[in-house]
Amino acid sequence: MDTPEEIILAANLEAYRLFGDPSIAPTTADEHVPASHCVWTRNILEQGLRGLPKDIIGLVSTHGCDCTNRQFDIWLDTVDLDFMYFLNSPLKRDQTAKDFFIQDMKELIRQLEDHFNIKISDQNLREQIALMNKIRKKLKELSEYRNKMMLKFSELHGLIKSTLTTDKTHALQIVNEKLEEVKTRESFSNESLKRVLLTGSVIDDNSFVKNVENAGFHIVIDDMCIGTHYFWHTMDESGDPLEAIANYHFEKPIYSTKVPSHKRYKFIENLIDNYQVEGVINIAQKFCESILYDHPFLSDKFRQNNMPYLFVEKGYNREAYKQLSTRFDAFAEII
Amino acid sequence: MTTQEEEPKRRKVLDATMGLKNIMGRHYLAVEQAYRDGKPTAWATSGTPVELLYSMDVQPMLPENSATISAAQHLSKDFIETAEEQGFSYDLCSYFKTNIGAVAEKAEMLKGGTRKPTFMLSSDVICDTHVDWFQTQAERMNVPHFIIDVPHIVSNTNQRQYNYYKEYVSKQLWEFMEFIEEITGHEIDMEKARKVAENSYELGMLWQDIFELRKNVPCPVSTRDTFGGLFPLFTMTGLKAPIRLYKRMYREAKERVDNGIGALREEKYRLAFEGIPFWYNLKFFSKLEKWGAIIVYETYTYAFSKYVNPDITKDIVLNHPIEAMSELMLKFWYIYDLKTRVKKYKEMVEEWNVDGVLLHNNMSCRPNSCGLYDLKRHLQEDHDIPCLIIDCDMNDPRKMNETQIENKLSSFFEILKQRK
Repeated sequence: MDTPEEIILAANLEAYRLFGDPSIAPTTADEHVPASHCVWTRNILEQGLRGLPKDIIGLVSTHGCDCTNRQFDIWLDTVDLDFMYFLNSPLKRDQTAKDFFIQDMKELIRQLEDHFNIKISDQNLREQIALMNKIRKKLKELSEYRNKMMLKFSELHGLIKSTLTTDKTHALQIVNEKLEEVKTRESFSNESLKRVLLTGSVIDDNSFVKNVENAGFHIVIDDMCIGTHYFWHTMDESGDPLEAIANYHFEKPIYSTKVPSHKRYKFIENLIDNYQVEGVINIAQKFCESILYDHPFLSDKFRQNNMPYLFVEKGYNREAYKQLSTRFDAFAEII
Repeated sequence: MTTQEEEPKRRKVLDATMGLKNIMGRHYLAVEQAYRDGKPTAWATSGTPVELLYSMDVQPMLPENSATISAAQHLSKDFIETAEEQGFSYDLCSYFKTNIGAVAEKAEMLKGGTRKPTFMLSSDVICDTHVDWFQTQAERMNVPHFIIDVPHIVSNTNQRQYNYYKEYVSKQLWEFMEFIEEITGHEIDMEKARKVAENSYELGMLWQDIFELRKNVPCPVSTRDTFGGLFPLFTMTGLKAPIRLYKRMYREAKERVDNGIGALREEKYRLAFEGIPFWYNLKFFSKLEKWGAIIVYETYTYAFSKYVNPDITKDIVLNHPIEAMSELMLKFWYIYDLKTRVKKYKEMVEEWNVDGVLLHNNMSCRPNSCGLYDLKRHLQEDHDIPCLIIDCDMNDPRKMNETQIENKLSSFFEILKQRK
């Protein structure tokens, strides 16, 4: 999620985020990656091995966890794509790391320019930053309607996914339309839903989110990459565009794959206060190490603060979701 | 093969290797002494430049090594279960969980325990776990934690990228020295640093010399010497004492070579081993002897000789130490990209005259096991090198199915037999 979409857009390409598909099993990917590795990344690799849509001509993979980093070489070796770049988004969030990140983004630009015989100017980048900022602001405005109980997270989640996979001008239009429509809605505050915060791994299956909601929860706020992390801040539009992009990624809510990942708790704590959260649900995709390392820390913190907390490990198929319903029901009871 | 009843086919370990216990003892005494003298101490993860710690008069401790000691004494399982009781998943790194349990249970150092350090040094050069591990423990112990972020090199990283990656690592090494100075008040002593670098280089090259001898048929040195012998390369690189030990190991191995003596009486199959050994069951490797097989090369133990990058000469190590350390952190056996890994494997198989490769699919070391299947595929399909994947774990005995592994090995040796 540190992939700078603005650079891809400035190259006059469309940024299309790859998501998992829980309806397929990673049978071919299992020939390349042991089954004890992250279920989600294996699922995406499976799609790569089966063949991505023809209009996907390149891949920018960004330094995340051990699994995604190491799997890039397997993509290079086995998936036929015209352009492939591994962006080393730094682990740390200090000035030295930021300077490095800018350098690596410059290299990405250089390789895109060389490969596609194009020129990416600062002006192009600024225009894309402005466009993305408009989308972010509207998404944040829309997200606030969750607090008024006029919008479910599953709807917002679906919209963010659309934004990540369509032309951004069109994305802005659909976000605007949704916002105008939501403003006219009645609140569903009379429904006895528990107000929860959702955090954890990359959760990209909209059905899973609906599953959580159907168990009697309203995800009033979240700490997810397909969620608040995508729109919480905006980029500076006046200064150096690459510095603005780097600042944005360094200042946005931290992921468990970056350090200090425990800072994630601070962000969640603020959200709990601001959104009258009654419980926290932390979802780990099976074998998602970053989340597994942070879970005991978060668990202790929530216990100290008497905040009901549910930790769930999930497989990447819809059959596996059903098995979780008892745990969700029990948690709703506790709250 | 029905050789289980036959006479033991192996020779004992090198006499010099028996001195390893003393060397390890020295290390632990030095740690104890540091605490008595109020000298600063640091936890460090493997792959970090321990030499900088010695150069600035900080006593290093490597919890990974401590975890292997727990495993060798069959204590790791209990420590791991203690960590799991604290909420750490069954699927997480068994070194990490051994350390969590050992600290929680206040295990003594000779059983794999460690003491609270002045600060911690970790890096993602090998895995993210190292950083997550020390983040967890630094917070619990309330000590400062410095992280060296090492960019990940992939098969299409170009030289231009590599240059600024190196610059990034170098900058952090300078920052790390400032960090040590701030915490301990110790400044870098260039004369001492040079001496430490010289010792480190000599130690690494000696280890490589021992590996060079293993190219001989029969191979004079087995894993009985190399798995344990690895310890000083992690914890004591930069000191004089392990150099003497390695020199003795080399002399003795050379003598075996000169006299045509192998570590195995009857060497039939020469194998390479990829991955971390099963520290709780090192005897397992002796079982290969019943098939007349000996491991002549382990990428893991070779990797930590550190100076495997031919671009890093002694002159660079001594006169441009930060540049050398940065480059060494970016490129070494354990973290090679897939393409380089395959290329190096092919070269190694030829040079060490290897008949087959055992690949450890380590359940709790994902960076190491990712790419293993493709490594196997390339070696088998492109280079006709027989490979066998063994599913196991480095420190968690619960994840070892010995019978299943033996059955797989039995079939593997049948294949090797047919190729002879």
